[in-house]
Parts: sequence; C-alpha cells; structure tokens
Amino acid sequence: MGLYSESPDWADIEPIPQDEGGPNPLAAIHYSEEYSEAMGYLRAVMARNEMSSRALALTEDIIDMNPAHYTIWLYRAEILFAIKADLHQELEWLNETALAHQKNYQIWNHRQTVVDRVGSPAGEAEFIARMFEKDAKNYHVWSYRQWLVRRFDLWEKGELEDVELLLKHDIRNNSAWNHRWFIVFGRDDSAVAGDVIQREMDYAKDAIRLAPQNQSPWNYLKGVTRRAGNPMSSLKDFASEFASIERPNEVRSSYALDLLAEIYSQESDGKLDAAVALDLLAKHYDPIRANYWNYRKALLEQPATAA
Amino acid sequence: MSPTAPNYRRHNDSADASFEIELIRELAVDQTKAAFAVPALFTNPPPIQDGLETQTSKARSDTMQKCLPFLLNDDTSDSPIPKQNSFGIPSLRKKDHVNFLHGNLADFPAPFVAMDASRPWLFYWSLAGLSFLGEDVSEYRERLVQTVKPLQNATGGFGGGHGQLSHIASSYACVLSLAIVGGKEALELVDRKAMWQWLGSVKQRDGGFQVTHGGEEDMRGAYCAMTIISLLNLPLALPSGSPARVKGDETFLTGLMGWISHCQSFEGGIGAAPGNEAHGGYAFCALACLCIIGEPHETINRCLDVPLLLSWLSAQQTTPEGGFAGRTNKLVDACYSHWIGGCWALLEAAMRGANQSSSECLPPGSLWSREGLTRYLLCCCQAKSGGLRDKPGARPDAYHTCYSLAGLNAAQNHYYYSPDTKGNPAPLSASFNWRVDATKEEGVPFDEDDRIRLVHPVYVLPWGTAEQTRDFFKDKDVD
Repeated sequence: MGLYSESPDWADIEPIPQDEGGPNPLAAIHYSEEYSEAMGYLRAVMARNEMSSRALALTEDIIDMNPAHYTIWLYRAEILFAIKADLHQELEWLNETALAHQKNYQIWNHRQTVVDRVGSPAGEAEFIARMFEKDAKNYHVWSYRQWLVRRFDLWEKGELEDVELLLKHDIRNNSAWNHRWFIVFGRDDSAVAGDVIQREMDYAKDAIRLAPQNQSPWNYLKGVTRRAGNPMSSLKDFASEFASIERPNEVRSSYALDLLAEIYSQESDGKLDAAVALDLLAKHYDPIRANYWNYRKALLEQPATAA
Repeated sequence: MSPTAPNYRRHNDSADASFEIELIRELAVDQTKAAFAVPALFTNPPPIQDGLETQTSKARSDTMQKCLPFLLNDDTSDSPIPKQNSFGIPSLRKKDHVNFLHGNLADFPAPFVAMDASRPWLFYWSLAGLSFLGEDVSEYRERLVQTVKPLQNATGGFGGGHGQLSHIASSYACVLSLAIVGGKEALELVDRKAMWQWLGSVKQRDGGFQVTHGGEEDMRGAYCAMTIISLLNLPLALPSGSPARVKGDETFLTGLMGWISHCQSFEGGIGAAPGNEAHGGYAFCALACLCIIGEPHETINRCLDVPLLLSWLSAQQTTPEGGFAGRTNKLVDACYSHWIGGCWALLEAAMRGANQSSSECLPPGSLWSREGLTRYLLCCCQAKSGGLRDKPGARPDAYHTCYSLAGLNAAQNHYYYSPDTKGNPAPLSASFNWRVDATKEEGVPFDEDDRIRLVHPVYVLPWGTAEQTRDFFKDKDVD
C-alpha cells in the first residue's frame, strides 16, 4: 500500500523493486516505505523512458526526500523539455529547493540546463545574492555564476559591482576575488587596457591597506602584475609599506615579506637581502612553511637560470 | 602586530662579510610539561594578524579555539585518557577506526537516504581505509561483487545504485573497490568494452570529461576517467561512437593536457574547470591525472606553472592547527590532508626532473611540515567513537577517515618516481613506476604503531593493488 500503488493514475505501472544483488548487500540503506515505493515507480517509468506530467511529479516527490540523487535531476530535465513544461515555474520551485539544501550541487547543473533553455538570465543575480547571504563561498554557486556570465555575455552587466559588495562585506572572501579576476581577465587572452590594469592594481592595494595579512588581494596583485607583463620589482615600494628587512620586528604582512624576497632574489646584488627576508619568514613570521622558505633560500644559491 | 616580536640583531662583521641573523625566540614552554612540550608554533595564534574582523577571520579564530585544547592535549573531556605515543600525543587508535569503517559497510537507517546515489563511495572509502589500517578486506569480496553487479549498466559504467545512470565517480569508486578486494571474480565483473564505450561518450571536444551524460565537466571527470582507463588497461583510442571523435586518430588524451592547464588559476592552484577558484581537491585530481598521462616531470612541468603551484600548495598549511585548508582564506579540514598532502609527492617528482636525482635545490626532506599534519590528524581529528573527522566538533565519516589516513601516509613516507628504464615509457605506464622510502623524518611525531600501510601516491590504493590490477588486464583487449 502507498501513495502510488493505491492511485488509479499509476495503476498501469508495475514498479521495479531495487535489486540489491544478494542477501547481504554492503552499506544497505533501510529506506522509508515512501522512498522505497517511489523509487520502484521511478525505475519503472525510466525503463520505459516515459515523458509525462505524472513522471515529473514523481521526480519532485523523490527530490524532496533525496535531493542528492543526480539521476532524477537528469531525468527531470528531459521530461521538462519533452512535455514543454513551464520553465519559470520550475525555477521558482528550484529557488526554494536550493535554499533548503545549501550543500546540494546536482541542483546547480539542473538549474544551468533549465536557464540555458529559458534563454534569459533574468532574476538569476538576485537569486544568487540570496544564496550568498547564507554562504558567500559556495563553490557550485560561483561556478554556475561563471557559466551565466559566459552564456549571456554578462561581463559588463553589474558583475564587478556585485563583487565589490561582497568584498565590502568580507574582504577575505577569496571566491569573490576569483570572480573579479574572471570578470576582468577571464574573457579572453587579449591584452587588457592600461587603465584597467591600473584600476585593478589600485583596488588590490586599497584592500591590502585595509587588512595587510589577507592573502587574497596579494595573490590578486601579483597576478595582475604578471598578466600585465610588469616585473615584480614594480611592487617593491608598495610591499615595503608592510615589511622591511631593516625593521624586522615591525613586519605587518608575511605576504609582503614573501614578495620582497622574490623581488630581491631577482636583483643583481639582492641575494643576501632575499635570504634575510626568507629567514624571517621561516623562523618567525610563517614558520609552518619553514621548509618551503628554506627551499626558496636554497634556490638563491643556484645559477641565475633558475629564475 | 605580533605580540611576540623577536629580539633581533643584525651585524655584518663575520669573515665572509655576509649578514648574519640572530633570532632569539622566547618559547613559552611550560616547564612541568617540558618532556612533551608542544612547539609554540602549534599553540600560538598565527604570528601576524591584522585588526580587521570579518566573517572569514571570525571563522578562522573559532576554529583555532576549537583545536587548541586538542593540540595542547589538554582536552579533559576524554575519559579514560586515550593512549599516548612517545611524543606525548594521542596514538592512532587503529582498532576504533577499523570498527568505525566496518560499520560503514553495514546497514544504515532511513535518514541516510542522501547517500543513496553515492553508495559506491562508501565501498571505496571504507575498503580503502580498512586496507590502509592493515585489515584484510578480501572477506568482503563476495558481498561487494553481489552489491556492485546491479549498479553496472549495459551501456557501460556504474551508477550510484540500481537503476541509476552511469556516473564517472560511481564508476571510479566501483572499479577501485573491486580492485581492493581483488580476485578474478571481482575484476571480471567489469564490462570493459562497455566501460570503454561509455567513457568515450563522456569525453568532450575541449579535452575534458563530463561526469555523466548531461552532467558537469570538471577535473574529477578527467582524473576518474584516466584512472579507470589505466587500471583496466582500456585502449587509448576513442571508440568509434564517441561524439568527441571527429578525426580518425583521436584518443582520450586529445586536448586533455591543454584543458588541465587552463584550470590553473592566477593564484597558482587548480580549479574544477577553467576560471574556477583554486581548490585542493581539484589540485590533487589534476596532478594525479597528469601522473597517469605520462611521467611527472614531463606532464606536470609542461602543463603547469610549478613555482606558482608550489607557493599556493604551501600556503594551504594552516597555523597553529598544522593541517591543510582547501582554498585561500578557508578553514583547515582533515580531508585536505590527502587532497593537498597527496600533491607533494607528485609535485616533488616533477621538480626533481628527468634524472630524478635529488636535485641540488630540492631538499632531501620535505617542502612542507609533516609534523604539523601529523599533529593535526592525531590530536584533533580522531573521534572518540572511532573514525576521523573534518575538525573538532564535526562528526566522523568514512570520507574524512579514508582521506585522513591517506594524508597520514603522505606524512609518514617519501615517494619517488623511478622508472626501471630510461626513455619514453609505454603509454599510461608511468603511474606504475613509483617507489617508496619509509624512512621516518626527524621530528615527525608518530611511532611505528601509528604507521599505516603504504598507499599508492597516484591511485590512493593499498600499495601493490594498482599494479596487480593492471597486470590482470595486461593481455586483455576489449573485443
């Protein structure tokens, strides 16, 4: 007895019970009767590749019980398109489901499939903002957002502004920094205009001044410098605001010291200074990475080709 | 500014006129505990913290507070006090973890329905973890074979359960589980020809792999696919039905290295797909995949900016916890003991270069803190009831147990890439050329009793299993 076995709508379907292979399956789950029954009907309708509104309702029932079931999501997408279901209604339902199941990621692939078919990103930025209120570093949401930007050419449609809002809230949100990079430099491999490079350098520098021991903007700043083809030595004055080997007990950022070590190592007479900076990192300011800093120090002895 | 700034003196009066640095560090060592003093590195906040408080800094500080009592071995909630090793930290409680993993192969109550599409992972994590702990898991062979059989689809590959679509992660977990229990019956269960055709159907034109038809394309897809292909000795040529096969000569490797290369982010780490944020899980998948494609010094150096990757990997080790985080500005989590911890051997092999001699710049020891990782895992991650966990306060699970043990293995051994013969190895044979040196590095706080069985650095299988599996399929073709 159950929801499906007693329903006249499902009378024509013979459910397929789960084949556990034998009497003692490994890691067997004692399913609830409701789940067990619904899955029996799902196997049956999938076996006949049924595309119908009752099959769609069945997938919703199972997703409510187990949203981590990738097969059902893929089947659901097929049904939606086959029966020309209302995709806006689907998105509304997805919003609730996604908010209720933060960690689930099958849902993002499904959302992508549906929004691709809808052909418009309307409402997506707002929904993503709600997701970010709960977890602004959700990897799957960021990955989906990148897809949206590429698919709908949203490079200059408020993405930078949204990133800035998130960074204003938490300047250490590395996912937001990564998205900034994606928006500014990820479009193609062509050269980026000089004023954009300057803007990005300034943005990262301001962030560092706010919180000097935050690795995200340091990685960003070095990335921009490399991408622009500028030498790291162009950052020497800036890094010196936060660390100096002349004042070894006033280091405000280990990342500044790391960068100074890199800059010194490229100077013709900078090896000794580089060694001092790396020693400071190994012995005092970042000792968990002592082996790495000592390796960098050993590189200083190598012929210049290593650089 | 650090509260414990060093007294610092610099002078240049030595004979060779080089600078000498003298640091006088005041270690707050509790004299009564001097015998087992925990180095200040693992008991003090990071040396530099800036004043700005945000969600990220609060979360990091909460995590530190949760871990400190365990790092100091001051957690008094345990009674009786767990057995200590000769370094004064908890021993690896093998028996408890063995029991925990056996439990993960037994029945689960209804609320575990969320695992219904990932049961193959439970097989793999539990069987691998048990093997790493020295257990003989061949007793599970018959039950595994029975359980896995209905998961295989006639069109190739394995789903997460009976009637579920084939997925590359389920296929990977099933194949590895079958390899672990071993034996003809288990290995012959895989329909290799159908698997080959199915893998051909998820290979993408841009070089990567989709995880399932209509699913996402990411680094897991590439790593799982190449693992399956090499272990089962499948042909490298794409099957004729593969939509990626537009020219007659295309293989599973076509475009793959280029695709992986595009996944390295500006930070130096590797993301799930081009443009994504650098993440430890995908870093391991990328490096291991490259080590299957060819020799590490060839493939890794060709594909990736190695110094940048090295710097990023190194930055994931957290202080004072000593474990690894998965991304910049995220929290320490035991699973990255493998995802990041497992990267070192692969990257070091690439750095040693073609002759694999310990090159002048690469130290014979390590590029990372094996001591830190060992402390984190033994002090913070062992749950009282058995099993290992993300961090104190989290529940243990098979996933964290398996990858914590694999991480412990990375801290306990040195792996080397060492082919028998010089010159180009046969296609997809490079990953079978690894050697291990189990000499204990000084200062790493584990005893012989805390050792786990050797783990293959590329396949994350018990040592020897990958070779046996490959040998079993050596002379078999797919027709």
